[in-house]
Amino acid sequence: MSPRWVPSKGAGGKGAGSEGREGAGSGDGDRLLAASPTARRLPGPRRRLLARHPLARFLLRRTATAVLLALGVTLVTFVLTNLVPGDPAAANLGQRAIGDPAIVAQFRHHYGLDKPLPVQYVTYLGNLLHGDLGESQQSHQSVLTDLSTAVPATLELAGAAIVVSLIVGVAFGVIAALRRDRFTDQLLRVVSLLGVSVPTFWLALLAFYVFFYRLGWAPGSGRLDPGMTAPPHVTGLYTVDAALAGQWPVFWSAVGHLALPALVLTAYTVGLLTRFTRSAVLEVLNQDYVRAARAKGLPGRTVLFQYVLRAALVPVITVAGLAFGALLSGTVLVESIFAWPGLGAYAYRSATTLDLPAVMGVGLVVGLVYLIVNLAVDVLYGVIDPRVRVQ
Amino acid sequence: MPRFSAGSYPVALPLVAVAALALSACSGGTSASGSSAGKTLVVDTSFNLKTADPGREFEPTGQIVDKALYETLLSFKGSDVTKPVPGLASSYEQSADGKTLTLHLRAGAKFADGSAVTADDVVFSLNRVIALKGNPSFLLDGVTVTKTDASTVTLVSKKANPALPFILPNPALGILSAKTVQAHGGSATATDGAEKYLNTTSAGSGPYTLTSFNTNTQVVLTKNPKYTGSDKPTYDKIVLRNVQAPTQKLNVQRGDSQIALDLTSDQVTGLSGGLKVDSGASSDVIFLLLNRNTKVSSTTANAKFAEAVRKGIDYKSLLSLAGTGSVQPAGVIPSTFLGALPASEAAGRDLAGAKAALTASGIAKPSVTLGYASDLTVDGLSLQTLAERVQAQLKEVGITVTLAPAPTTTELDNYRNGKEQLGLWYWGPDYPDPSDYLTFLPGNLVGLRADWKAGADPTLTALGDKAATTIGDDTRKTLYEQIQTRMNASGPFIPLMQPSRNTVSAASVTGVAYNPVWTIDVAALGAK
Repeated sequence: MSPRWVPSKGAGGKGAGSEGREGAGSGDGDRLLAASPTARRLPGPRRRLLARHPLARFLLRRTATAVLLALGVTLVTFVLTNLVPGDPAAANLGQRAIGDPAIVAQFRHHYGLDKPLPVQYVTYLGNLLHGDLGESQQSHQSVLTDLSTAVPATLELAGAAIVVSLIVGVAFGVIAALRRDRFTDQLLRVVSLLGVSVPTFWLALLAFYVFFYRLGWAPGSGRLDPGMTAPPHVTGLYTVDAALAGQWPVFWSAVGHLALPALVLTAYTVGLLTRFTRSAVLEVLNQDYVRAARAKGLPGRTVLFQYVLRAALVPVITVAGLAFGALLSGTVLVESIFAWPGLGAYAYRSATTLDLPAVMGVGLVVGLVYLIVNLAVDVLYGVIDPRVRVQ
Repeated sequence: MPRFSAGSYPVALPLVAVAALALSACSGGTSASGSSAGKTLVVDTSFNLKTADPGREFEPTGQIVDKALYETLLSFKGSDVTKPVPGLASSYEQSADGKTLTLHLRAGAKFADGSAVTADDVVFSLNRVIALKGNPSFLLDGVTVTKTDASTVTLVSKKANPALPFILPNPALGILSAKTVQAHGGSATATDGAEKYLNTTSAGSGPYTLTSFNTNTQVVLTKNPKYTGSDKPTYDKIVLRNVQAPTQKLNVQRGDSQIALDLTSDQVTGLSGGLKVDSGASSDVIFLLLNRNTKVSSTTANAKFAEAVRKGIDYKSLLSLAGTGSVQPAGVIPSTFLGALPASEAAGRDLAGAKAALTASGIAKPSVTLGYASDLTVDGLSLQTLAERVQAQLKEVGITVTLAPAPTTTELDNYRNGKEQLGLWYWGPDYPDPSDYLTFLPGNLVGLRADWKAGADPTLTALGDKAATTIGDDTRKTLYEQIQTRMNASGPFIPLMQPSRNTVSAASVTGVAYNPVWTIDVAALGAK
């Protein structure tokens, strides 16, 4: 679903989109909700009690939680990184430079390490308010710049993986449930179990070896052919950017390079989703309203999509959301094998070199991703299941 | 993603098959790129890269990049680092006291933007390195750079500095166009702000110019058509990619890349596809440190105990860990440098002698801890593996070694603060001159890490002082040999090995040579 932008002032009660389930404005949050389906369907007496706009309040509360959690993330990463017995100066300066007190002092001063820890933390928070995540000691660039290339790289990978996983996983799960205990079900059970239990890094190595080295079907490592230049930066997703710029050779190269690592990641999530979809569908299949629908003589397809699948999707969405979050933050091994310059590789390098601003930047991004995914999942509940809306 | 994982099953072959089908559909549109089209050379290496600014870089990958982008006053030819050759300076003279180095600039040298390379550019660039107080600043410690005339530059050192001609080829001392750098926030002061610019555009006279630069992904270099040096580059475009070693191997075998820089000896055995392997000893020397501080360990401070360790180690068996090309240096100076001890002087195992020395030490059942960085690999050799082997060998002597692994960032602190009883580390040369190894002497940087204090060995200190100021290769060679012989007899360092260094290249690439300073000179590579 696409977020609907709500005019910040004056559009209040009428609302821009009558079905605005996902508010993007923050200033006039209270007014936003007048048009939401939730509000409209509330029984009369309770309408005033819930201050008219439950979705807005929900979103506001979520935003407040998000800010608190982000604060917590920075505090925890800051404290933990400083507890590690090690000195960023020692990790970043050369053998000789570390022996020169003037150079060490210069380094500490440049990165603000010469100040007391509480002051460092407060300074960081102050800069954060201005959107400044600090300068990475590794790349000598602002962390924001580094993240603006690393995050889209991982997002492209994880996004492709989750889309394929959802389609394949849900399809497999439904088939398995409908063919319960028959051969197809047993086969899919084996497939999904394998997908869940095979170590992803090992599968990545194997896939790269077989499909790139042995068969030559997949292109080599990286995001593009070495001879190509990255498309102009719009979203940071090479496939999208190349398509926007109309650079079709680059687009195909990006898609080709994306396919193998994304499919490796898919193996795990497909297994997971198949298992969850299967059990969710089985549970719904025995419900009275499904039997009633069948008894009414509704076509099988209608029963499956409108009655069974819709109800079964709630737990599946939950798992998919979690899996997506895990994909974003847990692709480090796959990224390293495919030389994919994503968030995992960046996080690993930053952590091993005590690059505090970068570690905190990554922590913030991962925290935010989980928050956004959870929020999206919660909103989707309401879309899928009318019961949630009324509660 | 360990949250949901359970059990351990073999391959997900059916899924891989599905993946394969999808893939074959997708990758049809892409064509393999290689050296054929437009002469692009792809080099895979595991990046250690922070910046392309010569005044700030001192990382292996940065050296490769800056070697191609900037010319230095002097240079080395191929892998020979025993003799400096002309670079931007066509000739040089060193004064008899070793304090003054006069360099005459090559006539007609031009930056990539077409402007001439002048003595002012040289003075600016070198002064900038000193002023920035970064990793490479120490290269010019105590050196004053002055312009004598339009084509002559004089470098005056406070103390005699016979190593200076060996230091000047370092890519960190590359010459930038003063005008360009100043126009983009550069100045030869600590407030210089040109790094950002230099990470997008190069300002040098080297054989290549910078096209794109990313410290995590890849660096692209394009041939500089205005290059005025003698050896014109062959490849139009060089792509340096950040790739881990196992993937490098597959890429180069498949022809996706033409050079792989970080393969271990195990990985290069049995390579197929007409690839060439250049194996040689690295100039990184791995050594064992025994702390002299009785407060840290009275055991390691005992001279007889040190002798027992020195005799108890089976150096040949350690070499087998590192594979073909690795060597045992006879002293702390690597075998390929001026002043290295001949291989015949290298220590060997003497188990009986080790046990006798241990008895003589008077320590019953000695037990020590060995600190090392467990995540550190030196030229592909993991220190973890090496530490385990050392532990096993010393067990045979009767010494109990407790391994104390830690992440590099943590262990470096212990090492640098002299807190390790036994330590396993390596020294990579800052510049290929034996004077770089004077840091191991009592009271110096590395010596102090073993608590080898100034005055602990006055004879050695005197020898060191003399070697640091003596001019003349033959005399220097003799002095450094004497220093190492004495260190081997009584010092707290035991040199273990120089691992092997393998460069794998496609059959079409010629001129591959491993250089200890800049790993590989991409401009010197040819095609056939």
